Amino acid sequence: MSIETVIEIVLAAVVLTLGVWTIVVPETFSATVGFVAYGLLVALIWVRLDAADVALTEAAIGGGLGGVLLLGAAARLRDADMMADARPGKLLRAGAAALSVLTAAVLAGVVLLLPDPAPTLAPAAVANAWATGLSNPVTNVLMAFRAMDTMLEKVVLLLAIIGVWSLAPDSAWGGRPGPRHQADPRGVLAFLARLLPPVGIVIGIYILWTGSDHPGGAFQGGAILASMWLLAIMAGLADTPLVSHRSVRFILVAGPGLFLLVGLAGLLFGAAFLSYPPALAKPLILGIEIAMTLTIAATLGLLLAGAPERSTEP
Amino acid sequence: MTEFLTVAVGFILAMLALGLLSILRGPGDADRVMATQLIGTGGIATLLLLGTAASIPAAIDVALTLALLATFTSIAFVKKGLSRFAADGTASTEDE
Repeated sequence: MSIETVIEIVLAAVVLTLGVWTIVVPETFSATVGFVAYGLLVALIWVRLDAADVALTEAAIGGGLGGVLLLGAAARLRDADMMADARPGKLLRAGAAALSVLTAAVLAGVVLLLPDPAPTLAPAAVANAWATGLSNPVTNVLMAFRAMDTMLEKVVLLLAIIGVWSLAPDSAWGGRPGPRHQADPRGVLAFLARLLPPVGIVIGIYILWTGSDHPGGAFQGGAILASMWLLAIMAGLADTPLVSHRSVRFILVAGPGLFLLVGLAGLLFGAAFLSYPPALAKPLILGIEIAMTLTIAATLGLLLAGAPERSTEP
Repeated sequence: MTEFLTVAVGFILAMLALGLLSILRGPGDADRVMATQLIGTGGIATLLLLGTAASIPAAIDVALTLALLATFTSIAFVKKGLSRFAADGTASTEDE
């Protein structure tokens, strides 16, 4: 048994233990912390499986922004934890256990029954990379071969932000999301919030730019930019924007809007909806990705900031 | 050289597993978050070593992302988790 195999077994055992513990532990807050660590470790596994694109997304969403979203929810639910000590009945718990076991068994069966070798379109995606001028096959699939799916995903992000905003009370509609954070301007938090964002913004733009030829892309870059923005907000250096502000709304629709415009132009002048002329494919894709990065950063930041809580009058 | 790097990965993974014990034991939320930070740091080291040993240059980008977001998570924990006032939306102060 080679040392690589030992490492893989240890990694898998650690992740499985953490996963089971996250489900079993009774306190919501501890489970959330376990989930964040789980996301970090799963990113390692994705790198080990040579799926660096997925690893980047897992590190940004699973270990980062998703964890913070859950931390906020757990902090709000903390008081509810104490009230919810009425345990469900035996029948309900047995039913839930049976359903979980059945789901796990079906999933395991499906995985075991997969044809070997698995049917794949990966060689076709690599062979047709010349059509866009980008050499990262994941970006090619996301932005060109299956561009329709990606565009609809961005519309889903927009729907999600509308859903969050619709939770605002009438008095705060159009106001600023979340509390106004305050921190000692000479403290360590304000210092970190001044030190880290310049580095983070450069890395975010780099991840977007490198996405055309290497693992990376708009979503991962946008997630990093969003976290830097939220860091400045949490340190009290910046305030959340008014959600009724015209420029905020414009940035939120810029990505999907530009995507749709390019798609319609393909319908009018080209072969089909979202078909890029080969000579312009790379600049068009990069343009869409830049607009999408801004939209994703703003959307993720505002999703984490929550529903508007403070009215337009300070 | 590759063997040495791989053995180093194994050692760091063993340390990660020890950090995991600290997450499982707790007892407080702060202990668990500190252990998560340790796992984040160990994860970055593992990624850099693994990326060099298995020649996956993109592992460095993943390590960069992990470094930025692990810091962000710990800040969010301090702001949202420890400060009771932050949760009810009326006021928010740095934990003192």
